[in-house]
Amino acid sequence: MAISETPSAGPAKETLSACPVQPASADPSNAVVKTTRRDFLKAGGMLSMSSLMGTAALMTQSDDAHAAVEWAEHFQKNYRLMTAEEKAEAKARLERRYSAEYGKQVSVDTTDAQPGVLMGYALNIRKCIGCRRCVHACVAENNQSRGKERAGEKIEWIQVLRMERGKFEQEKMNHGYPEGLGIQVGGNAYTPAGLVLEGQYHYNPEKVPEADATYMPIACMQCEKPPCVKVCPVRTTYREPDGPVVIDYNWCIGCRMCMGACPYWARRLNVTNPVLPKEEMNPVTHYLGNRPRMRGVVEKCHWCLQRTRHGRYPACVEVCPVGARKFGNLLDPESEVSKILQRKNVFRLKAELNTFPKFFYFYD
Amino acid sequence: MKKIAIYATILALSGGGLYSVVAAEKTAEPAAAAATTATEAATAAPTEPLVCFESRKGASEITQQDIKPGWPNVKCSPTTGAALWYGDPFEGTVPMGKMPGLENLPEGHALVKPRSEKLAILPMCGTACHNGVGPQFNPPTLPKDKKPTAIPTMEGLVPDLANFQHGRGRIWCLDCHHTTQRNKLVDNFGDPVSFDQPQLLCGKCHGDKLRDWRDGIHGKRIGEFASNGKKRWFTCTECHNPHNVQDGVRNRGFIQLQPEPSPQLPRGMANADHEKVHPIPH
Ligand code: SF4
Ligand code: SF4
Repeated sequence: MAISETPSAGPAKETLSACPVQPASADPSNAVVKTTRRDFLKAGGMLSMSSLMGTAALMTQSDDAHAAVEWAEHFQKNYRLMTAEEKAEAKARLERRYSAEYGKQVSVDTTDAQPGVLMGYALNIRKCIGCRRCVHACVAENNQSRGKERAGEKIEWIQVLRMERGKFEQEKMNHGYPEGLGIQVGGNAYTPAGLVLEGQYHYNPEKVPEADATYMPIACMQCEKPPCVKVCPVRTTYREPDGPVVIDYNWCIGCRMCMGACPYWARRLNVTNPVLPKEEMNPVTHYLGNRPRMRGVVEKCHWCLQRTRHGRYPACVEVCPVGARKFGNLLDPESEVSKILQRKNVFRLKAELNTFPKFFYFYD
Repeated sequence: MKKIAIYATILALSGGGLYSVVAAEKTAEPAAAAATTATEAATAAPTEPLVCFESRKGASEITQQDIKPGWPNVKCSPTTGAALWYGDPFEGTVPMGKMPGLENLPEGHALVKPRSEKLAILPMCGTACHNGVGPQFNPPTLPKDKKPTAIPTMEGLVPDLANFQHGRGRIWCLDCHHTTQRNKLVDNFGDPVSFDQPQLLCGKCHGDKLRDWRDGIHGKRIGEFASNGKKRWFTCTECHNPHNVQDGVRNRGFIQLQPEPSPQLPRGMANADHEKVHPIPH
């Protein structure tokens, strides 16, 4: 563990002071608690001393369960520094709150990485037809915000990029620019060959796949050297021992450094209060995975930790109609992904950045 | 409690001023917003059983129902009717049966969803018409040119036959269907193969694909990801239409289908036409 007990107090302070606009953590939908806290803070005014007194007052008056929950959530440790009991406490607390909020029995799993597992993913870009079923399976599984009214209320972790299909033409071989000065730029430079711009991802034809397109789904690549982890000022995003890069949402301050650092556009910020209808909420959650998030925190694909820690395929793998998505244990030479690495033509996206993704693209 | 007290002190001493700003920013809108969307979704609850298709339309299907309260066996797409999420990946499956190359899997870990139940007239095929007896068929004399004579009844039952493409004229019905047991397929040695195990037949020609399928590279499996885990294996015909694999001029193995809705547009953007504008004219 890189972070010791003492410096952890530092970030705690930072969490609340560095970023005045975003709520430091916890459940913004709990109006009761908010009123309480706002009131006492107003009363406390600018004086640190009176704030402290207000704080003490709230602590002693914690007969209100919600207030206690919110209070405890504000001051819980970074997940990696929690002891087993503290984890159990946090788990029980969250389960109680989510169950009440969503009107059903919600479980918050805290299963650790299983020994001997290093998760890996492979996607066959020749097979993908761009149907976006994976995108919506992910939303059904991972409790993303799915509002329609306001921009930023609908969050999807997977993006399917539509790429124009290019070609090289014999006739253009000797054409170029500038004309007559020898070929500086070949004639085929003006035809798309594979990647064009950033691709289109709002495409909406009647039927996919279209004749002139290939599709390239992207999401978090779960890098072995993740740039987002390097930049996170509160160290709330980190790589788990079995591979996925996760976020302890309670410690995220929403500074969006990681969003800027990620070369794969994988991270999403909850700009609004997440809109998650009760009936659509998936009650099987993991602490570092799909538990409901709050406004002002960043989220991203975590390879369905709540499923994969228990041996189940991620949701996107299960719905891909063409079987383009493959998931397995990289340490097991018999697993699907290992077999693909042995046998197929594989590449990693933006490999030149040395992020070492565990997400591979392949074709056959 | 001591721990909390320490944090509280730090907070109070350093962040007292800023923290009041935080509190002022946090307004009371969230709870109300969540409540309205919840009621909206409740009215959209299905009244009759929702059936969604799995890989391709016309192959396997699954009926939505609750396994336990709030936990459906499957979630279907309201837009396309495709299965979008599996609560129970093994519903309606049976053991795959003998499959060369998969002997090392533990008993009952390779499952398939039987297709023969869905092919409603299948039990009759071998008794009513194709029972292996008849003036010309006893002993069976098969045409040499592999050109099936169009029989209107057959074409009516299986419309794809009118435009039969598989093999581009090199194969015909009885290369895949058993000569006398018409509700069976046929393997390399002329032995009958169940409709639930088409891979034993398809692998006759598509050996490379069979190998990849067996190793989990080609095709689709759901359930547990471990290499010896319990999985439902999707068989060849659940994704490919055997009579029309090429899908006409497209010449692709998978039929076209309607995509799921596209992502939300960013704030202030009316449409996504900018994506279609290519910087270099071509
Ligand atoms: S926004 Fe990203 S970088 Fe900032 S605290 Fe949250 S996870 Fe860390
Ligand atoms: S579900 Fe499969 S085919 Fe459809 S967009 Fe996703 S990866 Fe591509």
